[in-house]
Amino acid sequence: MENTKENKLPQGTRKLGVMDHIRIIRDKPMFPLIFPLTVLILIIAGFGIATEGGFFRKTVLMGVFNQALIIATVSTAMTFVFAAGNMDISVGSAMAFSAVAGVYAYNATGSVFFMVVVCLVIGVVLMSFNGFIHAMFGVRTIIISIVMMQLYSAIVSLILGPDTVSIDYGLCRQLENAGFRNISFILFFVFCMILFHSTSVGRKLKFVGGNARCAQQTGIQYKNTVLISFAVAGLGVGLSAVFSIIRTSTVGTTLGAGMGMDVMLAVVLGGMSIFGGSRSNAYAGLLGAVTVSALNKGLLMCDVSPMLIQGVRGIVFLILVFLNSERPATLPSAQD
Amino acid sequence: MSTEHEILVQVKDMCKNFGVTIALNHVDIDIRRGQILGLIGENGSGKSTVSSIIAGIQPPTSGSMTYKGHPWSPATALEAARGGIGMIVQEAGTIGSISVAENIFLGNYEPFKTGPIINKKKMVAEARKALDKIGVEDIDPSLPAGLYDMQDRKLIEIAKVMYHEPELIIVDETTTALSQKGRDLLYKLIHDGAQKGKAVVFISHDLEELMEHCDKMTVLRDGVIIDSFPREQFDPEDIKRKMVGREISGQYYRVDEDGYSSQVVLKADCITTMSSLLCFSMELHKGEILGIGGISSCGMHELGRALYGLEDVVDGKVVLMKDEKVITGAKSAFDNGMGYVSKNRDTESLELNASIEANIQSTGYKKNRLFGPFISPAKEKSYAARQIETLAIKCINGRQKVKAMSGGNKQKVVFGKWIADDADILILDCPTRGVDVGVKASMYQLIYKMKQQGKSIVMISEEMPELIGMSDRILIMKDGRINGEFFRKDGYQQHELIECMI
Repeated sequence: MENTKENKLPQGTRKLGVMDHIRIIRDKPMFPLIFPLTVLILIIAGFGIATEGGFFRKTVLMGVFNQALIIATVSTAMTFVFAAGNMDISVGSAMAFSAVAGVYAYNATGSVFFMVVVCLVIGVVLMSFNGFIHAMFGVRTIIISIVMMQLYSAIVSLILGPDTVSIDYGLCRQLENAGFRNISFILFFVFCMILFHSTSVGRKLKFVGGNARCAQQTGIQYKNTVLISFAVAGLGVGLSAVFSIIRTSTVGTTLGAGMGMDVMLAVVLGGMSIFGGSRSNAYAGLLGAVTVSALNKGLLMCDVSPMLIQGVRGIVFLILVFLNSERPATLPSAQD
Repeated sequence: MSTEHEILVQVKDMCKNFGVTIALNHVDIDIRRGQILGLIGENGSGKSTVSSIIAGIQPPTSGSMTYKGHPWSPATALEAARGGIGMIVQEAGTIGSISVAENIFLGNYEPFKTGPIINKKKMVAEARKALDKIGVEDIDPSLPAGLYDMQDRKLIEIAKVMYHEPELIIVDETTTALSQKGRDLLYKLIHDGAQKGKAVVFISHDLEELMEHCDKMTVLRDGVIIDSFPREQFDPEDIKRKMVGREISGQYYRVDEDGYSSQVVLKADCITTMSSLLCFSMELHKGEILGIGGISSCGMHELGRALYGLEDVVDGKVVLMKDEKVITGAKSAFDNGMGYVSKNRDTESLELNASIEANIQSTGYKKNRLFGPFISPAKEKSYAARQIETLAIKCINGRQKVKAMSGGNKQKVVFGKWIADDADILILDCPTRGVDVGVKASMYQLIYKMKQQGKSIVMISEEMPELIGMSDRILIMKDGRINGEFFRKDGYQQHELIECMI
């Protein structure tokens, strides 16, 4: 039996288009790791030069780190939702909601533990509710999240009014410096990595995101799988609410604004396809979050107006989605 | 005579790459007026690619074409169509929500427009003419195309292409989607066309069909032209050999007379579904290959889906006899050792963007656990590697995406995942659809091997020879019920089976 690998290269003319090259590079196994790292290094180096080294000051880097941590917590959790081909932009309002609840819980009981539990529970409940409506009624997650975003932030406004709520500033600094924050983030990240890459959860989500019908025929239940992804997202939202409280010690109605967009940007900057499927992973959120924070901070330092920053981020997002997402194959027979 | 065989389209030194995949490798083809040229080859041999380039659907990577003696490089399919090239494609199709007439004139509404307003009446009348032209009378052009079944919708596409009176008619694997009536109509159209001095390119897997209708046949393999034969030299064995590039034994199907056990493993107990089945009952035995045949709308595909829990069973039940387990959905079917190969391989049986490995591994999340819920990467790796090796799946490595593979290889991946799963009961809906002869033979061997291992198989098929060749027992369905039961031990008579279908 002949078993030679048929891997002949054609002789003579062989012109590959730009998109062909992009596709080839994109399909390399190490791409999901190398791509986001390269982007991150380029952005940091770029801002380093543009700010004449100002970007590398300790306070700036700490600022980037603090912001990145919050975005990373949500994005890492949200990769589960994205993997299955769903989107949710209500994470910011949901985070604000659980942060408000957490602050009230602390101020009522004086227990940090209780505050954390309340944040996590509220996060999981809110996000699961979004997932549940999707699973139950089949409405697209993006639509549900637009509605929920309004609803959650309306509730926050209703509770807070024009005021803000705060907890003891000293306590927050203590929690930040005692390593509570960093350790809980690492634990959460490891938890997500194991859940995504070493159990069937991540595989099922990718499969559902790639071809839900095929997944169904292989005994994977869409509803259950998606509900798990939203529950994990809720954990991330809850934890990031805790981190937000620690960071500012004050919660106002603007908390979490723009978070939905930051998370999406982080996930694509992290090398994942925004439409989920086979190339999803749990670390895209972390890598992307650092890049997004660096981008936000760097643009601000270069005196780019906040309006323009939104524009730049939008353009970066579009380019990445264009380069990094699967589109129909060129053969007519393959499009059905 | 000389004008009749004048060259209409000439393809010179054409190459086409999709990324690293080479679809066409320095191909030259002359297409002549008055001639029906058959293009035959395995899946992925490049036969559809070359015709889609001529029809402007995609550009070549290199090489040139002439049409009516002038250089030809259509930028879009519409430009090619206006130039006189009509292609009836494999899939694509009609849009269900708009009318038949709108489908026929899609993208070509100008003639019916007064300012921005489209004169629907005029369009419907013109569509009527288009349908009459190909001899179709029972389709109403004013109704939405969605009201018609796939076969009628294919006819609408044919009418659309033929309306423009193309100089070159390309028929790409269309006949698999057509009923016998539709096929006869199409055959008549291409013969008439050739007679009127038009050129025809006929692409198919079906060697017999091509032998019957073509004046010349060109064999492609791996993007290279292997040989061309004029009608006088058609020799099926030789052509088959050249298609696959090796000897295939004449023995295609199983030859044994092995029976099967009397133990019932799966039972449909008076099941009723939303559209096709009304109190349908059947039993499947251990070690049995149960063939289910009929014309495509007889309800057999729905039966397959219902057995696997994919179709809502509104009354009655599907029961696994082992532990009296009632199938309530695909999950319960999967969890209880059933497997299902869909008729729509690309959209339902595979995740095209995922790797070969990932697709095969999808049935083994539970089996490949290390401890607790944790999956062992090593177990998973060998789970897939074993299938890639035993099924001789052609690939660079297991991480290759399924999307870039040929139809036959894709189907091997689908089989691989169920063999790896060690499913006891397999529901195969058109398992060899769009698969070429070489791979077909190995599919049949696999199915037979599974039977010998005591697996039970339901094989739903639209191909009579395959049913006769493989089944222990055949149920012929008509209008959602069983219209005949035949046994291998009694010998099958093809005409009896066909009579039962119609």
